[in-house]
Amino acid sequence: MIEPASEAARAATPHAIRRPGPGLWAVRQPLNQRARLLAGTLAFAIPFLLWCAISYVPFLWHPLVLVKDAGDTSVPGTYAYLDVGQRVERDVFEARNRQLASAGKQIATGERVNPIYLQAPHEVGRALYTAFTTAPERAGDSWLHESLLQSCKVIFWGFFWSALLGVPLGILAGTFSLVSRLFEPFVDFVRYMPAPVFGALAVTIFGLADEPKIAIIFVGTFFQMVLVVANTTRSVEAPLLHAAQTLGASNRQLLWHVVIPSALPRLFRDMRILIGWAWTYLVVAELIGEKSGLSAFIYQQQRYRHFDNVYAAIIIIGFIGFVTDQVLAALGRYMFPWESGNTALSRLARGVRRVLPARLGFAGTA
Amino acid sequence: MAYSDQLQLPSYLDHPPEIAARIEELRTQPLVMSVEGLTREFEGASTPVLALSDVSFEIRRREFISVIGPSGCGKSTLVRILAGLDYPTSGVARLDGKPVTGPGADRGMVFQGYTLFPWLTVKKNVMFGLKMKGVASSRAERTALEWLDLVGLADFAEHYPAQLSGGMKQRVAIARALANEPRILLMDEPFGALDAQTRASMQAHLLRIWERVDVTVLFITHDLDEAVYLSDRIVVLGARPGRILEIIDVPVNRPRVSDQFLSAHFLATKKRLEELINHPETFEKQGSGKITAAA
Repeated sequence: MIEPASEAARAATPHAIRRPGPGLWAVRQPLNQRARLLAGTLAFAIPFLLWCAISYVPFLWHPLVLVKDAGDTSVPGTYAYLDVGQRVERDVFEARNRQLASAGKQIATGERVNPIYLQAPHEVGRALYTAFTTAPERAGDSWLHESLLQSCKVIFWGFFWSALLGVPLGILAGTFSLVSRLFEPFVDFVRYMPAPVFGALAVTIFGLADEPKIAIIFVGTFFQMVLVVANTTRSVEAPLLHAAQTLGASNRQLLWHVVIPSALPRLFRDMRILIGWAWTYLVVAELIGEKSGLSAFIYQQQRYRHFDNVYAAIIIIGFIGFVTDQVLAALGRYMFPWESGNTALSRLARGVRRVLPARLGFAGTA
Repeated sequence: MAYSDQLQLPSYLDHPPEIAARIEELRTQPLVMSVEGLTREFEGASTPVLALSDVSFEIRRREFISVIGPSGCGKSTLVRILAGLDYPTSGVARLDGKPVTGPGADRGMVFQGYTLFPWLTVKKNVMFGLKMKGVASSRAERTALEWLDLVGLADFAEHYPAQLSGGMKQRVAIARALANEPRILLMDEPFGALDAQTRASMQAHLLRIWERVDVTVLFITHDLDEAVYLSDRIVVLGARPGRILEIIDVPVNRPRVSDQFLSAHFLATKKRLEELINHPETFEKQGSGKITAAA
């Protein structure tokens, strides 16, 4: 500022005051609120716009031609198979038209299109709705919402059992060297076996229903979870343990009153990452035994070449994962207020500040 | 020659009558802790490293005793052994005559790093030791609030440690250790991470607490001023191996005030510490007679 702005002027134009902040390329500095919001939007907008461009701008890719009129089909030739509704290579289409032209017959017409596997945004957008409202092609197959529920059920139980056993074992292994030595070498060994190799076994043991699928997700996440939880538990700072010991804490009290509360926020973050892995194993799990859930739905839709539905289902998986993670992150901030300085008091203060008009001068302190 | 030689400083061994009386009175106090021939060896890369060699001294009730020495003299090892977090290779530390075998609530400790539990509020941090003992919540809470009041942080009872400054965190740590009513408070360079101003105010604060509370303090530091300002006695350790060079009775009146930093006896003591710490080799050659004189 060249001249000091008066209180009145400042109040009249609250946005005129620009505090010099770190630039957009400052190393490991937080972005300002506006840049954060903009960049976060762009993170989704850029891939979406690229998709739109490839889908709608005719000359960008469009390697095929969708035949509208096959021309005179009586003319013989290598490419006489050309028919309405086919998607053919442009070379083929042009060669056929040269044939037709040289024969003096009516030439074929068509429009440049993308391969069937690249669906345009509006088609996928429509499918996001119609996929739910369209009955399955074969009686007995699942509707999309049924598949969705089925997948969520398998993920939930697989992850539930995995966490129920893996978290306590991991915490014990991270706390007591004895437990670590007793379990970790074996767990580390099994961890390198890809979960899908247990597919055949799981089906033999558990039959064709949901149980083998839950077992695959369990195998895929449990062994990793034990090691991750043990390592996170080991990252609890030794000085905290020492302090507690000099305050008279016994070994058992150290575990319950220091190790667990200290590791809990970090463990919660680990679980958020591991639940993502569970989704990865879901796709494998659902294809063993009797195909089920979203994977089965995608598989069927691919066979009927309903690629719009395939994309819709994939996007739904991404969306569920994203929403789950955001919900868990918010839950984490609520459960572990000391982690972010996000105490009930500071939350209230921030809420009040947001409601108050910026003119009162609170905006600058946000 | 050294600037300090131009000052007409008294000998640090010259005790004014009231100091001499206080020293005599302290010597009649019951023994709280005794350190008997502590030796600690660590496994080195090739040869064992001797961190502490035959360290012996006694701590009397209500005494404020500092251990000072250059880095690597084993002062942290010493306090960790006294706390029961480490063990001696030979020798023994006794609390009220009983050998120390592990950590316990009878020896409170304040660390250099911030060791408040980040998931507990300030009040619950102070309640921690009492809860471990099984004291009922309501009583523990009352006690915690009293201690927080004593360290001047009653208004911050519901804050989380992350919301406090470094100095405030250490005050909570002191309150947390004292709420357990330990026989002795071990402080391992508790103000080492603080800036000079905060450190000065924390020293004054600690003295006020110590004057009001019946507690014995063993204070580790490498800061000469801090040692003289706070202590009744100073145990001076030399490095490699960590051993006692001298135990000095501080000839400065109580209550201490920061003005005394420039008093003749303060400076004389500080000068002696400086000699011991910065030139242990020349000192030991030239002045070994003085050690026996002091002992």
